[in-house]
Amino acid sequence: MSTTLAPRLKWDLRLFASAAALTLIGAMAMASAGTTVHPTLAVRHAIWIGIGVAACVGIARTDAHRWMDLAAVAYGVSLALLGLVSVAGAMRLGATRWLSVSGLSLQPSEAAKLATTLLLARYLAGQPNPLPMRAVWISLALAGAPALLVFRQPDLGSATVFGAIWLGMAWVGGLSRRAVAGVAGGLLALVPLGWVLLRDYQRDRLLAFVNPHADPLGAGFSVIQSTIAIGAGQWWGRGWWAGTQTHLRFLPERHSDFIFSVIGEEWGFLGGVAVIGLLGVLLLRILRLALRVSTPEWRGVAVGIFCWVAYQAVINLGMVTGLLPVVGVPLPLVSYGGSSMVTLWIALGMLQSVHRTSLE
Amino acid sequence: MENRVRWLRLLVGIALTVVLLRVAQLQLIRGSAYRLLAERNRLRLVPEQAPRGPILDRHGRVLATTQTVFRVALIPQELEDLPSVLAHVGSVVHAPVDGLQRELERQPAPAFLPVTLVNRVPKEVAFRLEEERWRWPGLLVQADAIRHYPRGSCAAHLLGYVGQPTAEELQWLKAYGIPPRSLVGRVGLEQWLDAVLRGRDGGWMVEVNHRSRRVRVIGQRRPEAGARVVLTIDAQLQSTIEQAFGTQPGAAAVLDPRTGEVLALVSAPAFSPESFATLDTQAIRRILSDPGSPLMNRATAAAYQPGSIVKLVTAAAGLEHRLMAPATAISCAGSTTIGDRAFHCWKRDGHGPLTMPEALAHSCNVYFMQVGRSLGASRLRAALAQAGFARSTGWPLPERAGHLPERRLTEGEVALLAIGQGEIEVTVMAEAAMGGAIANGGRLMEPWVVRTVAGRPAGRPVSRGQLGWSRETIAAVRAGMVEAVRHPSGTAHRALSPDLGIAGKTGTAQTHVPGRNHGWFVGFCPVEQPRVAMAIVAEFGGSGGELPAQIGRLICESVGS
Repeated sequence: MSTTLAPRLKWDLRLFASAAALTLIGAMAMASAGTTVHPTLAVRHAIWIGIGVAACVGIARTDAHRWMDLAAVAYGVSLALLGLVSVAGAMRLGATRWLSVSGLSLQPSEAAKLATTLLLARYLAGQPNPLPMRAVWISLALAGAPALLVFRQPDLGSATVFGAIWLGMAWVGGLSRRAVAGVAGGLLALVPLGWVLLRDYQRDRLLAFVNPHADPLGAGFSVIQSTIAIGAGQWWGRGWWAGTQTHLRFLPERHSDFIFSVIGEEWGFLGGVAVIGLLGVLLLRILRLALRVSTPEWRGVAVGIFCWVAYQAVINLGMVTGLLPVVGVPLPLVSYGGSSMVTLWIALGMLQSVHRTSLE
Repeated sequence: MENRVRWLRLLVGIALTVVLLRVAQLQLIRGSAYRLLAERNRLRLVPEQAPRGPILDRHGRVLATTQTVFRVALIPQELEDLPSVLAHVGSVVHAPVDGLQRELERQPAPAFLPVTLVNRVPKEVAFRLEEERWRWPGLLVQADAIRHYPRGSCAAHLLGYVGQPTAEELQWLKAYGIPPRSLVGRVGLEQWLDAVLRGRDGGWMVEVNHRSRRVRVIGQRRPEAGARVVLTIDAQLQSTIEQAFGTQPGAAAVLDPRTGEVLALVSAPAFSPESFATLDTQAIRRILSDPGSPLMNRATAAAYQPGSIVKLVTAAAGLEHRLMAPATAISCAGSTTIGDRAFHCWKRDGHGPLTMPEALAHSCNVYFMQVGRSLGASRLRAALAQAGFARSTGWPLPERAGHLPERRLTEGEVALLAIGQGEIEVTVMAEAAMGGAIANGGRLMEPWVVRTVAGRPAGRPVSRGQLGWSRETIAAVRAGMVEAVRHPSGTAHRALSPDLGIAGKTGTAQTHVPGRNHGWFVGFCPVEQPRVAMAIVAEFGGSGGELPAQIGRLICESVGS
């Protein structure tokens, strides 16, 4: 049996094992931290995982060519949804990021990340190497449109994810070194303008990064409490359900952006190494896939998903350990967030589909 | 292309390694410090003050006690609607809202600590605020224990007061585990008995959440109340004497001559010890800047020139050294010449021939100057020292020893010393002890004031020395003191009370201010088997035969009835 099925359902075991392990660790942390946020939060998290994994398995069985054709449609739909959010979105945390559909909240920016990746992969695959300037501008515009809508929500962290996806894909797609330098210079020039456009709380967070102890009960509170939580975990952690920073609610956003601090506090260095190590394995497997697939289009998809997961992971870990400013990016597969969880598992399903289609 | 993918791999590899090192630094290198910070985050030590022990008089009347007062405070991080909370508090305590606002802005707001809004509110107001507190998040009614002195300034100098510890005291108080908020005894008995009155503070170790709300109690140590202290003081007598002084500065010490128990210890003017306990800064400033120095305990910490009360010792020394017999008459012609200088009696036309009791009764200067001359400096000085002059009485609280001249004296100076003028100073407490010794047959009893601590006896009669006078001498001196009160022209006649046998001797000491003398009265009552001995001084109060003798009579009547 296994020999006959093997070519059709050949899963990249290490990739899915690491993704599953990360998701499991996240679910365990959610079981502990989630109850301090909402009684049913952990259950909802588990349901989203179920939906995500089911979608992943379903998509993994499809032909990769089929939904590459849908890239433009998916991109258009997600742009429209982002536009809708800015018009009719529900107000939450002072930021409008969710779309409520009959009681379910959807965050279209997550879907937009995947759609943008697909469309960029499609577009860049048809371009010569090195990329001509026209293609650079067009691809930048494709990534920039959803990024701008997300930035206006305002969600600075998610907006920068589009930039990271674009930069990685364009780089692999043949972006000249001169163009890289140009983009880097242009971004630097935008910093003062960006500062003006930022909301007050965003500025406070960036300033708090420079010196968190200037306002220990205000903007610096999150980072201080997060580093205390992680550090207090020491080698083996304080035990599942026994993190005082988590359960006495000193740790803010402990179910979403600061979930790694919960793991660090309750599972110690052991948990930290596990999360970082599993992320490393997952990312390596995605890159390995990028090198093995047969078309530049599919390589682009793998690189885009790599950049998306890698960027969010590094920014999130850097932020909760006090190395980077607090910009509000969830830890992929671990943080709470239905849209993010489902979209990431769909992306993993696509990778498997690409993997399988390439082999056929 | 493959190269560029490897670049991405390298970049992310480096980034994840940096994060891993950072996590290792936080957890493995600084882990124990962060563990401590996490513990501090969650654990709070909430001190619970032990109620300070009460101080009672010999009949159980309360002199000092601990009272609960109520304070309205705000917890800033729990406030939801400051203006409406202020409006609510303002309407209940009848205070303008902008005044409360200013009070709030005046204070620093330490994190997670309540900020005081109104310092003292009546119990009914506190209960009213507490009942509806759930409607006003962030509002807090706190109960504080403060020191209360129900008899006002009664025995203020003896009791002393409590106050906030200074930064310096905090250092060593911390070593004894005393939390910085508690008040410490500053002077008087509050200070001397601080350790027993304080009791032992308790506390709660509680786990709190991020909003400082209590989650659970981890440990508790119950506070041990301070000991109940019973004094030998009679509060009624104390108040009577204090009222008798009125606005006149001065002091009085009243003892039981048989035991040395202090029945009253008065210093006028007095102050309200409660001003210090309630940190009433305005009242404290008034007390400190008062030119009358109300904080000084004039009964023990001030020494005055004694004047004629020294004649009691001069008379006894003359008898002991057999310079005369009690009945030997010495004539007073109004003055006596020593060297080339004439020393006058206060009665310029002279007393004529006087026996020793008569000389005491009329306080004749010439008589005692003559005796003093015959005694000479060293014998006179020894007799004074023996009677407790310039010596500590054994009083347990801070005390001045008084003063006797130690240099060589001229013949004239010896004669003046014999009538209590010149370089001689004595405390009221020492004179009361001497009066007690004359009353009890010659024993100088140590004055003591703490009868029981927590129900256990804390004091007992201790004899500190003997006057060294024979029974006949004491009888003659007592006869003189009885005569001074009884005889219509005796100097202490104002101390006469029809039904009581009172013995006394007045003194009028010249001061550096001409015409303004210190008046003294030393006496005891009843004459047979005395139960009370006393010394009274009126600072710049004129003749000892006036107010001091009257107060002496009041004391005897108060004790005798």
